[in-house]
Amino acid sequence: MSKSYQFKRFLTRRYQILAAILFLLAAGLLLLPKYEKHEGISPEELLSNSISPERYITTDVLADRIINQDPSYLLIDIRPEEEFKEYTLPNAINIPLKKIMDEESIPYLNQTQYDVVLFSNDHFYADQAWIMCNRLGYKNMHVLKGGLNNWFHTIINPAKPGEDMPATAFELYSTRKAASMFFGVAYPEEVKQIVVKKVIPKKVITIKKKKKMPVEGGC
Amino acid sequence: MGPLIPNGIIPAEWNYILAILIGFAFGYILEASGFSSSRKLVGVFYGYDFAVLKVFFTAAVVSVIGLYYMDYLSLVDITRLYVQPTYLVAAIIGGAIMGVGFLAGGFCPGTSLTAVAIGKIDGMVYTLGLMIGILIFSEFFGFLEPLFDASNLGHITLVDTLGISPYWIIFAFTLIALISFLFSDWVRSKVKKVFY
Amino acid sequence: MNKKQVKNKRHVYWNPYFGGFLLGILIIFTFYITGRGIGASGAMKSGVVTIVDAVAPTHAENNAYYSQFITKGESPMNNWLVFETIGVLIGAFLSGALTGRLKLKVQHSPKITSRRRLVFALIGGLLFGLGAQIARGCTSGAALSGMAVLSTGGFITMLSIFGTGFIVAYFFRKNWI
Repeated sequence: MSKSYQFKRFLTRRYQILAAILFLLAAGLLLLPKYEKHEGISPEELLSNSISPERYITTDVLADRIINQDPSYLLIDIRPEEEFKEYTLPNAINIPLKKIMDEESIPYLNQTQYDVVLFSNDHFYADQAWIMCNRLGYKNMHVLKGGLNNWFHTIINPAKPGEDMPATAFELYSTRKAASMFFGVAYPEEVKQIVVKKVIPKKVITIKKKKKMPVEGGC
Repeated sequence: MGPLIPNGIIPAEWNYILAILIGFAFGYILEASGFSSSRKLVGVFYGYDFAVLKVFFTAAVVSVIGLYYMDYLSLVDITRLYVQPTYLVAAIIGGAIMGVGFLAGGFCPGTSLTAVAIGKIDGMVYTLGLMIGILIFSEFFGFLEPLFDASNLGHITLVDTLGISPYWIIFAFTLIALISFLFSDWVRSKVKKVFY
Repeated sequence: MNKKQVKNKRHVYWNPYFGGFLLGILIIFTFYITGRGIGASGAMKSGVVTIVDAVAPTHAENNAYYSQFITKGESPMNNWLVFETIGVLIGAFLSGALTGRLKLKVQHSPKITSRRRLVFALIGGLLFGLGAQIARGCTSGAALSGMAVLSTGGFITMLSIFGTGFIVAYFFRKNWI
């Protein structure tokens, strides 16, 4: 009689402990402080990233990469569509600034296959786009320093250096002039030679779209 | 970050292999808890065996607390989990018919499968009856369709319906579960013992 | 000697709290990996659709209900629930085999005949199959997995099943007690 009574008491004590654990877990879920979940990097990291000038890519480097047909870059034009249609860099994709958070732009921005170079008329809008993409933690984002205005001044229409500039300035001028010819600028003094206009091949951009599977279910 | 397969962390080909493994564990747990016995299952309605209540409530409480803790720790995205659509009229009427069927047959589809697996002939007859029932439903689908599609409220959860924070609902649910466990033990001590 | 005999006759099942705990962990695991809950009656439906499609394909296509589940070139059995059901059968078989519960018999109350039990099992299955299709779920799929994500439909279905069960239990008492 006493053995079964002790057994019964032990049983209820054990269950009391288990019930108390369950109760505490439920209460804990209720009482835990709920914080806003941030998607992306912290503000301090964003600040240190935006201060460093690493993200800028100069027009010379970019022209060099385009001429050498470097396949690992992706040019994204942040300007509105009308300006994109007027003139843009070869093989550039147009994502206007206000559409940068859209579902369809994400596969172009949030990937590690290509180096993304953002550009606009000057680099202000491109910088804004860069800040937002960096906040979300996208990697490999660059900004064209000076934008398309600088592109015109340096590549398409390079400034002829004066007489008293060092030799490197003259070298730079000649490389820029060659680049400008590559991009289709015709110079009257060289029009005698038949300039073989190098056709820049249309780059096929295959972005692997990370498709989110729809969740199915049911009985 | 879960759920793993819809987010692509595990390739989708594993889905069916995992289905078999999950079903294996499910069948094992159900059978070992005694749900292959129809007399144990209906015990909750007559007060001599409350295994169904205990298993059901414990499983529901543990799973809901576990999932919400995982959501808090950002291991699972609760919004991506499948929430079934609520068809108000269909759920009530279908549930009523299922209740009668449960009492008559003594099984539910999941437990009838465990009964089939261990060789209970009434389980096999029940499964056959299930399939005939589905056949009858599909044949008369024309008549039943308005009932079937009535009042679709969408994929709503209790949070949307009641408007309370989910953590309060979970807390209240846990309390109800614990109280009902106590109640079931009390009722069982009062009811005449049935040997099965 | 007497006590040992009684012990062998009675089935030794797990503690229900332990079984419920493990089931809860399994459901968490299922949701975490696949994003959906478990289910049972969906596999039966796939089975019925497959059989009807094999026997009378044109009738199956004309029927508004079957045609939802028949896609050209893919068997309706190619369904997550069907694979899960196969797993359930294997798991339950293993559990029964390990504890010596494998036996071909009809389990019924000693107060009724086994034929009566089988007739009621058939009627019960029929009604449950009908109800499960109307309510789009059964106890494991709708109720258990529905409660794990706090779905309203799951709660309503579960309350309806058990509520009606308690009401009609009185009429079926001769079968069980």
